[in-house]
Amino acid sequence: MSNPPEATPTLPETGVSPPSSGLSAPPAGMNAAPPSKMSPPPMPSQLSRIAAVWYRHFRVYCTSLIANATPAILEPLFFQIAIGFGVGRYLDRTFNGLDYATFMAPGILGMTALYTASFEATHATFVRMRYQKTYSAMLATPLTRRDIFLGELLWCSTKGLLYSAIVAVVLALFGNIRSPYAVLIPIVGFFTAMAFAGLSFLVTSVVKNINQFQYYFTAFLTPLVYVSGLMFPVQELPYGLYWGAYFLPMFHVIETFRLVTTGFASTSVSWAVYCPLILLAMAFIFGWLGVRAMEKRLTA
Amino acid sequence: MQNGTASANGAIVDLKSVVKSYGELRAVDGVSLTIPSGICYALLGPNGAGKSTLSKMIGAMLAADSGSLSVVGFDPWKNQSEVKTRLGVVLQDDAFDEDLDVWSNLEIYGMFFWLRGKALQEKMRGLLRFMELEGREHVPIQELSGGMRRRLMIARALLNDPQLLILDEPTTGLDPQVRHAIWSALRKLKASGMTILLTTHYMEEAAQLADCVGIVNKGRLIAEDSPEELIAKNLPRFVLEFDAQEDGAATAALIKDLQAEQHGDRGFAFSNDEALLLSSLRNNALRDGVVRRSSLEDVFLKLTGRSLDE
Repeated sequence: MSNPPEATPTLPETGVSPPSSGLSAPPAGMNAAPPSKMSPPPMPSQLSRIAAVWYRHFRVYCTSLIANATPAILEPLFFQIAIGFGVGRYLDRTFNGLDYATFMAPGILGMTALYTASFEATHATFVRMRYQKTYSAMLATPLTRRDIFLGELLWCSTKGLLYSAIVAVVLALFGNIRSPYAVLIPIVGFFTAMAFAGLSFLVTSVVKNINQFQYYFTAFLTPLVYVSGLMFPVQELPYGLYWGAYFLPMFHVIETFRLVTTGFASTSVSWAVYCPLILLAMAFIFGWLGVRAMEKRLTA
Repeated sequence: MQNGTASANGAIVDLKSVVKSYGELRAVDGVSLTIPSGICYALLGPNGAGKSTLSKMIGAMLAADSGSLSVVGFDPWKNQSEVKTRLGVVLQDDAFDEDLDVWSNLEIYGMFFWLRGKALQEKMRGLLRFMELEGREHVPIQELSGGMRRRLMIARALLNDPQLLILDEPTTGLDPQVRHAIWSALRKLKASGMTILLTTHYMEEAAQLADCVGIVNKGRLIAEDSPEELIAKNLPRFVLEFDAQEDGAATAALIKDLQAEQHGDRGFAFSNDEALLLSSLRNNALRDGVVRRSSLEDVFLKLTGRSLDE
């Protein structure tokens, strides 16, 4: 542009600014004077914009904290009590050298992060997009579509971090956590949630109505959790089916949780040390693909 | 570096041959328009004319297929955040967070501009006073009336001291009191130097607020001028309007006689001679007849076509 650069953007009009607002009371039934007019603020950085999206979700979430968090935390714990301890009592054997409830703990943590993120990135995201028009309001501000869904991804990951941490504390009280590396559980929860939020965005970007998420949950996520090492060691799958399990995203999640909760000795495969790297790769690849797909889906 | 104010010719908005299609439909079909700084520009058009699409492209929310756009000195699609930092936008959907109160909603919206702390709070107080929402700070959104919500939307759009305020049908569905309160607020903003772009299908709104009216139909800008000039250029000064409901030879003859147009069940005869129209009114014993000044609505109906299927 040929315009000379200016130190600060100024309003182009030359009219005098009104005096600062609120000095005199407005007459009854009339508007007060418009508040004193200044230049618009500087453009927020992308990091600020993503943080602002996160902050909005955090504020709304905190208005009904107990109702929001309780089911997401109680469900995996009931699962552990009913299956881990309940069914475990009748099992007269060890699993990778552990009692059944302790063997299940990593899967319970993985399940918590997976469902938390998947729900947030499907139903909750769809409601914000279609019914609450939250994203339309955001689009009228400096936020771009990419900022919105990067913020959304960050929020889903944060929920995975928080919920896996809380569930881990309870599992530790049950005696199912056996490694000092368990302090890393929230980090594993964060990246697990990121991977599944990304995957779920891919689904959200194509569904026509909210009921179609049922297919994703009952036909994909639930069986995925069950065959990925939650309830039995995958290497005990018959007919070489365990090879298939190695290609399921949830397998690497559960093995990573296993490394940090009960140590390498209890993992299902000799190459489990690579599982955290695979999980990280999934988090960034699925996360990026999911954000890209949602950017295209969101109309103004 | 761009300085992000008006473009070289002093315009806040400068569009050239802008096109936007949705599949087969050409929602915006080659629109060029210029909005100088400090005026209120109204885009007037029937539903589906392309007003909202145009304002979304100007508001950096939607990409154009072709043509060139300059908004506050930038290409809005290439510099979305930069442009939107300088805009205030009031859309048709309010999209408030229903469970939160007025104050929290404004705080969160301020964060989208990275406005926070004391400066933001002072701004919020000033704007709530300006939009007559003082004392409602801690009312949950779901308890606000439709009029209060709309006023809050305008307050929200002003948080960042925008250079251009875009309002998409700001008074649709509101009662007359609220409508007039909003008009009054918008006039004050204009007086303080703010540039305003308004879409509306209310003639009165355009006539009351706009310095310049662009009439949009089927994606094209078909006329553009001040409200007074639009009327003066397109129609005689006066109109005799009457009930032409009854079919039959008598009505048909009357319409022919007065060189009137019939639209629906009303007849309209235009003339610069008020006395002539008044005598026609008396002599023909017209039902429900009235002689009045030609209005923006008459121009609008003339230019955008009278029948609904047009």
